[in-house]
Amino acid sequence: MSHPDLYAEVDKSAYTNALAKSSPVTKTFFALSALLISVSASYFDMPGVISFIVPVVVFTICTSLTLGLAKVKAHLYLDLFTYPILMLILSCIFIALFFGSGTPVIEIPLHWATWTIFKSGISMSVNTFFRVAGALSCLFFLVLTTSITDLCVLLRRIRIPQAMVEMSMLIYRYIFLFLEISAKMSLAQKLRLKRSGWLSSIRSLAMLTGSLFIRTLDQGERTLVAMNARGYDGEMHILDDFPSARKTALVGIVLFDVLLIALVLLTKTSGVVL
Amino acid sequence: MHIMEGFLPSPWWQIWWIISLPIMIYGIYKVTKLTKKMPEIKPLLALVGAFVFVISALKLPSLVAGSSSHPTGTGFAAVLFGPAITGAISVIVLVFQALLLAHGGITTLGANLFSMGIAGPAIGFFIWWAFKKARINPAIGVFAATAMADLMTYIITAFQLGLAFPDNGSVFTAFAKFFGIYATTQIPLAIAEGLLAVLLFSFLTKYKGSILQKLGILKIPTSNKTDEVNP
Repeated sequence: MSHPDLYAEVDKSAYTNALAKSSPVTKTFFALSALLISVSASYFDMPGVISFIVPVVVFTICTSLTLGLAKVKAHLYLDLFTYPILMLILSCIFIALFFGSGTPVIEIPLHWATWTIFKSGISMSVNTFFRVAGALSCLFFLVLTTSITDLCVLLRRIRIPQAMVEMSMLIYRYIFLFLEISAKMSLAQKLRLKRSGWLSSIRSLAMLTGSLFIRTLDQGERTLVAMNARGYDGEMHILDDFPSARKTALVGIVLFDVLLIALVLLTKTSGVVL
Repeated sequence: MHIMEGFLPSPWWQIWWIISLPIMIYGIYKVTKLTKKMPEIKPLLALVGAFVFVISALKLPSLVAGSSSHPTGTGFAAVLFGPAITGAISVIVLVFQALLLAHGGITTLGANLFSMGIAGPAIGFFIWWAFKKARINPAIGVFAATAMADLMTYIITAFQLGLAFPDNGSVFTAFAKFFGIYATTQIPLAIAEGLLAVLLFSFLTKYKGSILQKLGILKIPTSNKTDEVNP
């Protein structure tokens, strides 16, 4: 799936999943605390030891919550993972082959030097793989269950300055506006043979970006006029009507976090020794 | 740039957060002040944010390193608004990229913000300012500023990755390895981004000169065609 389609799908899922109506406070608190604990567990990583227990636990829990409880479509979840995981695998291979120090696993003599692959390089790369996979599952849980509008209301509640929250909402709106207009312009250019040569295709791209910028700028000014006409006084009022967080859910999350931290501390010395 | 979610181990992601946080707060303070003074600037600010989002979402996989190569767009924003406000816009853009595209992340926000939202724009703005002082053609200034901001972003990212994943105990060789991989795709891209910024700048001067003057970027009188758009 191409990028614009993918994030339109993600946006749709945020509004239509089974957890869409539950409190964003609960969802955000859960996802962020799990994310921070699981990434912080890497503090105990040791060279030459693969420790994967915490990230795997976090990954399993977040994935089952996303697919089971929030009922997000499995193929969307997979699509979302495809690109980052592909990049991650390439990165990890690079780290395993070219980084590390200490005990070598294999030494390959080349003409100009010896290429050494180290145990610590391999453990670093595998640990990174698990850490990122766990972290991504937390992030995807948040993204697929909570809409950006809800997050903006949340930001205002935790006293992020009004100007920033408003900017976030406007940027969010403009991203989609930008993509829509650019798709239309690109089609129009294609119909007028924009790719008839190398030079003309470069010029077409510059024209597209330039007029896109000005078009959206104009749109922005019109938006401001429209807002002024409706009594805009420098503050955007968002309807803040999401359900308040249930106490049991919050207690449950705190309990989960405590258990997770306990797991981190218990397993800090265990792992597969290379 | 754009180090993936969770890619930096503890304590590096915390360290970059601590470094970026004060600058982020200063940027937010500047945005609040500017929008209070000129509410009509809000759409333009948001637009630059969306622009940065869209062009930095055009990513080319750079093969390695939990990161990817693409234009950053923040150099141009720095020329328009200065580095502090660009930093604040970058926070929003980076959070959206992390949430909507899985591109960057929350734990790595500090590191990404430092490279893309702080160091790059700061260098870009400094070059723009120096060229302006030297009375060199603004087009050349815009080109140099955006291209260098782009390169600077990648140098810093390579440095951040080098610190977190030292090679044989040496940060420098790790840095050289990471940067070597970026450089192949990034130098042509930096030039392309510079050219794009120049074209955009001339477009804006031609059609929206009034707002550029208001921002204090242009001192020269612009053509009579201001605010008349017919692309």
